[in-house]
Amino acid sequence: MVTKKNGTWDWEIVPQTTWLGVSLSELWSYRHLIIGLVRRDFLLSYQQTVLGPLWMLFQPVITLITYVLVFGKLVGISTEGIPPTLFYLTGIVLWNLFNDSFLSTCSIFRDNVQIFSKVYFPRMVIPIAQMMSQLLRFAIQFFLLCLITTYYVMFTAWTAPTSLQITAIPLIVILIALLSMGLGMTVSVLTGKYRDLSYIIGLGIRLLMFLTPVVYPINYVEKKWRWIVQLNPLTPLFELFRYVLLGKGLVTPQQVVYSVACVGVVLVVGILTFNKQGDKLIDVV
Amino acid sequence: MSDIVIQVESLSKVYRLGTTGTGSLRQDLQRWWTSSILRKEDPFFHSPGNETQRHGKNQLFKALHDVNFEIKQGEVWGVIGSNGSGKSTLLKIISRIVRPTYGTVRGKGTISSLLEVGTGFNPELTGRENVYLSGFILGMNKLEVRQKFDEIVTFSGLERFLDTPVKRYSSGMYVRLAFAVAAHLEPDILILDEVLAVGDTEFQKKCLGKIKEVSHAGGRTVIFVSHNMQAVANLCQQALWLNQGLVQEQGVADKIVNKFLLTTQQNVIKQRWDNPLEAPGNEFVQFQSVELVPHLLTDKMPLDVRVPFTVRFRMKNLVDKSLLSIHLGLYTSSGDCVLTVPSAAGVYREGMLAGECTIPGNFLNDGAYYISLYVLAGTAPVYDLESCLTFDLEDYRGDESGWKGKWWGAVRPLIPFSVALQDPVLY
Repeated sequence: MVTKKNGTWDWEIVPQTTWLGVSLSELWSYRHLIIGLVRRDFLLSYQQTVLGPLWMLFQPVITLITYVLVFGKLVGISTEGIPPTLFYLTGIVLWNLFNDSFLSTCSIFRDNVQIFSKVYFPRMVIPIAQMMSQLLRFAIQFFLLCLITTYYVMFTAWTAPTSLQITAIPLIVILIALLSMGLGMTVSVLTGKYRDLSYIIGLGIRLLMFLTPVVYPINYVEKKWRWIVQLNPLTPLFELFRYVLLGKGLVTPQQVVYSVACVGVVLVVGILTFNKQGDKLIDVV
Repeated sequence: MSDIVIQVESLSKVYRLGTTGTGSLRQDLQRWWTSSILRKEDPFFHSPGNETQRHGKNQLFKALHDVNFEIKQGEVWGVIGSNGSGKSTLLKIISRIVRPTYGTVRGKGTISSLLEVGTGFNPELTGRENVYLSGFILGMNKLEVRQKFDEIVTFSGLERFLDTPVKRYSSGMYVRLAFAVAAHLEPDILILDEVLAVGDTEFQKKCLGKIKEVSHAGGRTVIFVSHNMQAVANLCQQALWLNQGLVQEQGVADKIVNKFLLTTQQNVIKQRWDNPLEAPGNEFVQFQSVELVPHLLTDKMPLDVRVPFTVRFRMKNLVDKSLLSIHLGLYTSSGDCVLTVPSAAGVYREGMLAGECTIPGNFLNDGAYYISLYVLAGTAPVYDLESCLTFDLEDYRGDESGWKGKWWGAVRPLIPFSVALQDPVLY
C-alpha cells in the first residue's frame, strides 16, 4: 500500500461539520448556478400565464387598493400629507421584499430535499439565489412605485422632497434582504427539523407586519407604546425609506445603527446555523 | 504504479434512529418529557429488528462499518452488495452529500456524482433551459455547458424538442436528455448510482459505451454502483463487495461478482420429491428426482472444469403412448444459454422414465451455472422445470502458463493448438 502525506490531497471529508461551510472562492465558482436558479424562478412563476411578469405588479396593486380603502378611508389613518397611494405603496413594496424573501428562504430544506440528497453544491447557493430572485421582483415593483411617484409630482399639487438621498435606497433594500435571508436561514433549519413550525411562522410574519410601519406612520403610534414598534429593526429602515422617497419619516441615526447591528447579528447567526446544522439535517429531512 | 485518487480510511456511518427527531416539535417535546423526565421507554421508537443495537438509550444503525479502500487514477470500480448493504451511503459520503460518523475520505481532483438521472430538472422548463440548469447543478460552468451543448443534444437525439417543456416529454426522452447532460460532465472522478436501469436497450448500450469511453480514453476514475452484475463485470476492473455495512471482499471485478452471485444462489445438485403432491409436474408428466453426479476421482477433489458430470432425472409419464422428448438447457448464472441438448424423441408407455445426460470434462469454462429441463411432446412444450440444478465450476489451469486472469469465453474445450519451429528465421 502506498501511504501519502496529508498535504498532497486536494480535499478531505471528515466527520466534523464546519461553521463557515464554504469558502468564497467555491461560492464564486458556482455563480452560474446562482444565476441559473434565479432565471428558473423567474421563468417558473409566469410559465403558462396570460399576463406573464405583469403578475408581479398585480399583487401589490390589489394590496394597495385594499389598504387605501381599509386603512385610508375606513380606519382613517393619517398619512401626514403624503398621498395615501404613495404612502401605502412604499410600505407594501418594501414589506413584500422582506416577507417573500423570508418565507421563501424558510422552506429551503423542505423544498430542496430532492436535490440536496442527490448532489453536492454549496448549500449557501440556494438562499443567495432566493434573495436575488426577490431583489429582482422588488426592482420591478420599485419601478412601479417610481412611475406612480412621477405621476404625482407632474400632475398633482404634491411635491417630492427636494433633497433626495437616493444613495440610501439601495442600502436600505440590501439591509432588508440580508435580514430576511439571515432570519430565513435560521428558521429553515428549524422547519427542516420540525415541520409544524411552518404554521407558526406564517402567523408570526403577519403579526410582525403590524409591528412594522407598513400601513401607518410611526408618528401615528402613541408615544408611550412607540418603543415596542421601534424595537423591531425593520422600523427604522421603513421610516428611512419613506423619508428618503417621500420626505416624511421619523428616524434617528442611532436607530439606523441599531438596525444595521441587528442585521449583522441575524445574518451571522443565520449563516453559521445554516452551515453547521444544515449539514446534519440531510440525515433527518 | 498510478496515483491514488481516493483514499477511504476506516469510514463508518451510524444513523442514530432514536434522537434525530420525529419531525414534529410537539412529539419531540413529548418524547423528551417521557424519556428524560419520566424515564420511560421512547413512545415513538420501536426496535425494527436485529440489525440495530442498543447503545445506551439510543438506537444505532450502522450503515457502514470500518470501510477501507484506495482507488487509483483511471480505475473503474464497481460497488456491489444486496439491498441495504450500504452502497448508496458510501457513494453519498464520497460525493459530500452526507457526512461520515467516523473516518476520512481523501481525494484528488474534481468529483461529480450522479445518484439519480435528472437531478435538478424542472418539468416546466424547456429542454434547453434544463440542460443548462442541470449542468450547473452538476458542477459545470457556463462555458463548459455552452461548448458541450451541441454534443449533448446530439447524444440525446432530441434536437426537435429542445424548446418544449420537459413535462411534455415521454419518460424515455426525459431520461435520455438527463443522461446526456450527465454523460458530458468532465470531472476527474465520476460517481454513478444505478443509472443504467433506465431507457431502452439501445440507449443502455450507448450509456455503457460512454462510460467505457470516459474511463478508457479520458483516463478518468469511475465509481459505479449497480445491481446489474453483467455490467459491473464488463465495465469495472475492480469491485468492492459490501455486506451489511462491512467490506466483504475487494479485488478484481469478475471474481468478486462471481463470488457475490454464488452466495446469493446456493448450489443445488440434488432434488427429490417423494410426496407426489409436492412434486413439480402437471397432468402429463411429474418429476420425481433430479441430480447432478460429478465423476470425481477422489472425494476431496472440487468440482472443477476438468470433471465430467452426469445429470440424472426420474420422471413419471402419466399419459400412455405419448411422444416425448426431454431437452436439457445449460445456462450461466447470469442467464445466458451455453447449450441445449435434446434427447431423441420416443413413444413411451405410462410409467417411470429415467434419463441421464453427461457433460464432458474439459469443456465448460469456470463459473456458476444452472440447468433447466424441458419436456416436449412433439414440438409442443409440456412442462418446464426451470433452474432445477445450480452449481459452480472451479477454475483449474495446471501450471502450464503463469497467466491467472479471467479465461474468456463460455466454454473452454481442449482444442489442439500447436506451434512449432519449422524453418530457422534467416533475416
